[in-house]
Amino acid sequence: MSANLSPRTFRPYTGEKARIARAYDYLVLVLALFLFIGSFHLHFALTVGDWDFWVDWKDRQWWPLVTPLIGITFPAAVQAVLWTNFRLPLGATLCVACLSIGTWIARVFAYHYWNYFPINMVMPSTMLPSALFLDAVLMLSNSLTITAIFGGSAFALLFYPSNWPIFGMFHLPVEAGNSQLTVADMFGFQYIRTGMPEYLRIIERGTLRTYGQIATPLSAFCSALLCTLMYTLWWHIGKWFATTRYLNRI
Amino acid sequence: MKTTTQNNRGEIFAKTIHFPKVITKQQHNPLNYLLLLGMIFSVYILSMQPVWAHGEKNLEPYVRMRTIQWYDVQWSKQQFNVNDEVSVTGKFHVAEDWPISVPKPDAAFLNISTPGPVLIRTERYLNGKPFMNSVALQPGGDYDFKVVLKGRLPGRYHIHPFFNLLDAGQVMGPGVWLDIAGDAANFTNDIQTIGGKSINMETYGLANGIFWHSFWAFLATAWLLWWVRRPLFIARYRMLHAGLEEELVTPLDRNIGKAILVGIPVLVLVFYTMTVNEYPKAIPLQASLDQILPLSAKVNTGVVEVDTTRAEYRVAERTMTMSLKIKNGSDKPIQIAEFATGGVHFLNKAAPAPKQNDADSVVAAEGLSLDNATPIQPSEQRTVLMTAGDALWESEKLDGLINDPDSRIGGLLFFYDTEGERYVSSVTAAVIPKFN
Repeated sequence: MSANLSPRTFRPYTGEKARIARAYDYLVLVLALFLFIGSFHLHFALTVGDWDFWVDWKDRQWWPLVTPLIGITFPAAVQAVLWTNFRLPLGATLCVACLSIGTWIARVFAYHYWNYFPINMVMPSTMLPSALFLDAVLMLSNSLTITAIFGGSAFALLFYPSNWPIFGMFHLPVEAGNSQLTVADMFGFQYIRTGMPEYLRIIERGTLRTYGQIATPLSAFCSALLCTLMYTLWWHIGKWFATTRYLNRI
Repeated sequence: MKTTTQNNRGEIFAKTIHFPKVITKQQHNPLNYLLLLGMIFSVYILSMQPVWAHGEKNLEPYVRMRTIQWYDVQWSKQQFNVNDEVSVTGKFHVAEDWPISVPKPDAAFLNISTPGPVLIRTERYLNGKPFMNSVALQPGGDYDFKVVLKGRLPGRYHIHPFFNLLDAGQVMGPGVWLDIAGDAANFTNDIQTIGGKSINMETYGLANGIFWHSFWAFLATAWLLWWVRRPLFIARYRMLHAGLEEELVTPLDRNIGKAILVGIPVLVLVFYTMTVNEYPKAIPLQASLDQILPLSAKVNTGVVEVDTTRAEYRVAERTMTMSLKIKNGSDKPIQIAEFATGGVHFLNKAAPAPKQNDADSVVAAEGLSLDNATPIQPSEQRTVLMTAGDALWESEKLDGLINDPDSRIGGLLFFYDTEGERYVSSVTAAVIPKFN
């Protein structure tokens, strides 16, 4: 079994063996791509849901709390598999890139072409900066604990500022109906959603505003704390589901 | 056939297995099954019809009858072009006899049922006041509304005004067919910010969003390719288990990782600060509950008093018979012209009402009859047996109330005097089913 080789006796594959091993790499990568586009996107749509679907749901309290907390799940699990068995520090970036592909496909084809919403109203958020950071922390630390604490926290803390360049402009004030709205709120009012009455939006509900107008940092730090726990939980889920028993036969 | 197997002690032995010889008359070709599936799928696709309804009959009858009672709903026009405005106006009475199993309308949203945003909503008024959010309604209250829409996508659509009721569902108003002509490419929707900036809502922020997504996608792709260009799974697995971990992550990889650790937060904060400086007047999303008081009473004004003493629904005949104690407090004779409930209008042929403009309303033109058709004189109090009968009870799925946990009916009675003055009263009663 190859796992029992010592550095002295190890010989890298050459020739046909190397070619087949490389073909296997590509096969797994393509399968992983489709698997994560489908599964992570579905998981994300069912849990983060409206917070990521609509521009007028991206508030400063719940959006930065919920999105990274759910977004760190698959990256943690895939990191556990790819790092532990292959020392590949790309699990988080791969997952989030797949999620981005899936969400963009859904927003363009399902929301825009099928249901007629303007794409700017349903633009997804990005977690790629957070994912790159998470991968780098794992590679440099080679530690679940350090990655969970520092990587998980950074995953949450980087989310809101990395998305503000995309969505900040939708927060310009508009006067409509004798009241002040944001451009994002105007999208919700104008572009009719039959099953989405305004009262369903969860916009700054709770007591975080008790601390003044700094709801976002508080939400982000709360999310950071929860992300450290969520990361650890999903790392173990990833390890639990993963197996390399078939590689041992090679 | 010879095969090997292992016994309990781990000894491997061989045995011969004889499979029975199977004789088939016909070889089954998988392609035939695929062809059959393809044919079934083709028939299914070719026979698909567009869906025209939006579940307006799906809500339980007692909710449709005893929550929002719509009347006088009118559309300014039903044929128009892209970019043209159309308005829907009307009135509704919030039933006093609000069902116990439906939460009170503390948060309600006046909406328009459309198949996606084929129209956009530009203005909305309740009792003459513009409102952008949800609103709290008062049981027993009377309201009028106006919603202004603008054609966006050409087509023919069935559109209703309706209320989303928190934790209760959708209560549909009367629907109409709207024909929107023109070219979708010509649609424009420009608004102005408080700062005076003009915005095209169809494209605003899209290019910027695509740029930032592309920027981060470029960095992520570079990171992925950096690793994918090398042998991956089998080769790395073997090396890792051979103790060659140091060769899997090189010093250059580590330096790039360090650059990411420093560079990503710096980039994020720089871009964030740039955006904050570019949009210093950005405000948080707005969410509030509008408080709009009801109008002075339009229903149950006190001029005509109605008390429902009994209601029976004859299942076989599809008729609702109501015993009504009516007192005419006006100075002219009055007649019952119409009974409206759950979006169905039962008209009294003997006392025709001025035409209402509930376009495409569901009407039983001769569905209302009275045991005594003579007008009720001023100051007279009379008990009237009113019968509302039509197959619409069944086709509109209103007869299901006998299966409801709250088998009560609610609706509006429309009286007219000799000069065409209208009086509206709400009625409500428990319904006794008659099955024979």
